[in-house]
Amino acid sequence: MQLQDKYRVALLSAYALALHGFESLLPTPIPWVRLGLANIITLVALVLYGFRTAMMVTLIRVILASIFTGTFLGPAFILSFGGGVFSTAAMGLVFISSRNIFGPLGLSLIGAFFHNIAQLTLAYFLFIQRIEAILIISPIILLLGTLTGVANGIVSDILIKNLLKKTEEKIQNVVQE
Amino acid sequence: MKEVIKNTTFADRLLLLFLIFASIAGIFTVGKAMSQGLNVTIEIDGKPAYTFPINIDKTIAVSGRYGDSVIEIRDKKVHIREAHCPNQLCVKQGWISNGAIVCLPNRIVVIVGGNGNNPQKDIDAITG
Repeated sequence: MQLQDKYRVALLSAYALALHGFESLLPTPIPWVRLGLANIITLVALVLYGFRTAMMVTLIRVILASIFTGTFLGPAFILSFGGGVFSTAAMGLVFISSRNIFGPLGLSLIGAFFHNIAQLTLAYFLFIQRIEAILIISPIILLLGTLTGVANGIVSDILIKNLLKKTEEKIQNVVQE
Repeated sequence: MKEVIKNTTFADRLLLLFLIFASIAGIFTVGKAMSQGLNVTIEIDGKPAYTFPINIDKTIAVSGRYGDSVIEIRDKKVHIREAHCPNQLCVKQGWISNGAIVCLPNRIVVIVGGNGNNPQKDIDAITG
């Protein structure tokens, strides 16, 4: 890994952590619903810098955030970790295998969907073990996940476009000089 | 905003529609399937003797210590229509859609409950 990549990962992780922390301060109508704002950074990292950067940013974000909030290796951490890793892996797989089929919005939806699937599965095997409870709650969680996924997808889309524009301008400036 | 919509691919829109449709359909179908999962269990002398789904109308006679009691299931509710015990408390309790009717002299208990699962303690989980 080159030094520049390290800076990039560090910067993106810091953004993701900040969003993660900010989000935990927001009051939510239902306790287990989160906006998943940090997924914006994961998505931007994936589209602009590739799968490895995205996965690294996710891992750093999940582990550091749990250490800061004191839930490291606790049940909340396991859910957060599983969801984060699984959704990043799913987004990465789709992004790499079909580069132009899904835009940022679609990738965000896929990420949100697999994040919820992973968390529900983990919750079933580790904590709740009542399939009816999981089944009743799954569609509601998936619907809310889809809605937050749309919001995050839109923000990611705008962010990615602006960042790409900036880098293009920079390259042009360099070429002109 | 317009630019964002223009920037979405066909697959994006299809996925969004599919997810919304599937989850809304899921909310309705799962809820329905679960509410039909209730069973009426009739216990005699403390042992489960019969189990019937509550959504199928049925009338049965169960023999206890004071002769036959008639138990009727209708419109997702259950009651004891007729009993020959001295105090008739079970008959007076009327229609129930959850909980239990207990007829102590006859040693008959009618329980409306989930599909065979013990109602365990609910565990709250916090995601972070």
